[in-house]
Amino acid sequence: MLYVLFESASGYGLFEMAESEGIALKKEAIQTAVTDLARFGKICKLKAFAPFRSAVEALENINCISEGILHDYLRDFLEANLPKVKPGKKAKFTLGIADSKLGTQLSETLNVQCEGGDLSKEIIRGIRFHFDKLITAMRPGDYEKAQLGLSHSYSRSKVKFNVNRVDNMII
Amino acid sequence: AGKPMGRGAKVVVEPHRFKGVFVARGKDDALLTKNSTPGESVYGEKRISTEIDGEKVEYRVWNPFRSKLGAAVLGGVDNLYMEPGSKVLYLGAASGTSVSHVSDIVGPEGCVYAVEFSHRSGRDLLNCAKKRTNIIPIIEDARHPHKYRMLVGMVDCVFADVAQPDQARIVGINAQNFLKTGGHFVISIKANCIDSTVEAEKVFASEVQKLREMDLKPEEQLTLEPYERDHAVVIGTYRKQK
Repeated sequence: MLYVLFESASGYGLFEMAESEGIALKKEAIQTAVTDLARFGKICKLKAFAPFRSAVEALENINCISEGILHDYLRDFLEANLPKVKPGKKAKFTLGIADSKLGTQLSETLNVQCEGGDLSKEIIRGIRFHFDKLITAMRPGDYEKAQLGLSHSYSRSKVKFNVNRVDNMII
Repeated sequence: AGKPMGRGAKVVVEPHRFKGVFVARGKDDALLTKNSTPGESVYGEKRISTEIDGEKVEYRVWNPFRSKLGAAVLGGVDNLYMEPGSKVLYLGAASGTSVSHVSDIVGPEGCVYAVEFSHRSGRDLLNCAKKRTNIIPIIEDARHPHKYRMLVGMVDCVFADVAQPDQARIVGINAQNFLKTGGHFVISIKANCIDSTVEAEKVFASEVQKLREMDLKPEEQLTLEPYERDHAVVIGTYRKQK
């Protein structure tokens, strides 16, 4: 069983991959299925979605994600929605992730096996392509609005001082 | 009928063969985009107003010496792959000079994910994006797309002007993350940023080869003379279906 984590500006999505109608979970097969929502929707199903409840929460989370750090909100979300793994036992599923650094942390704290190879990358491309349609609660334009709001707050925090461009000259 | 530009010169605005791009015909022809924020210039460029069916429309002059994309359009590329409604990932957005014209072209239905690493330019980019809400400003290193993966959706076109020796790889990994299958790329290559010891043509050829290896199939190459020296723009298709 393969689950895939997708991090978006609106929140975290956990997807469950199912082999169906002859579409095997192979890189090439995913590549061709990806562009067609009807086909992709059959193999990739939304298991759970955790929206960010405020701009501050979204900013905290992207700051962690960009550095490959596991935020409590993401840990709680995955703990609540992935199948339970008994201590000392090996998980019966794999979690597809975009960033191997985050994957290492997830393996250590949640005892899950992470996969960040080509298959995961292809599935994540597909989710990115169809994301706003896979999350039924989302209205058209919501996804871009979340990206716009979060990009401004993230980028502003990066250039920290004096956004109003009166540069402090270094003489 | 056009309103005067400069000192009483008559100007007529015509659509360019690329949707969203316009040309002013007058004493000197000029490339234009329709200003999404009338009354405001982004980098001190001239503005031209005309009336179409009694409605006032304002355009901004697109300076090919300030924008490599502008130079490519004036140079006569076959395809631009950016039009009203397109989603564009723009790597090396700098202060937003060129980005502002892409923002005009894609319009309110499209968007530009503008990535710039330099904080100094980034501040100007942020200010530009405040007024132009179809620009999604990302102050981050284009070498690490995973850092900004939460901010970017799938795009129709990747434009790159990052002037780095590993530019081809940078475009490749961004395409792998964010560019639709069958999507397009437009890359400006500055020869001496890649390798200043060999002649420009050889640099372009080796960059094109690197692009092919990452499933970025070049279809067109154009030098940016007379606007830029030893620059070429390469345009093509990602994961082209056979």
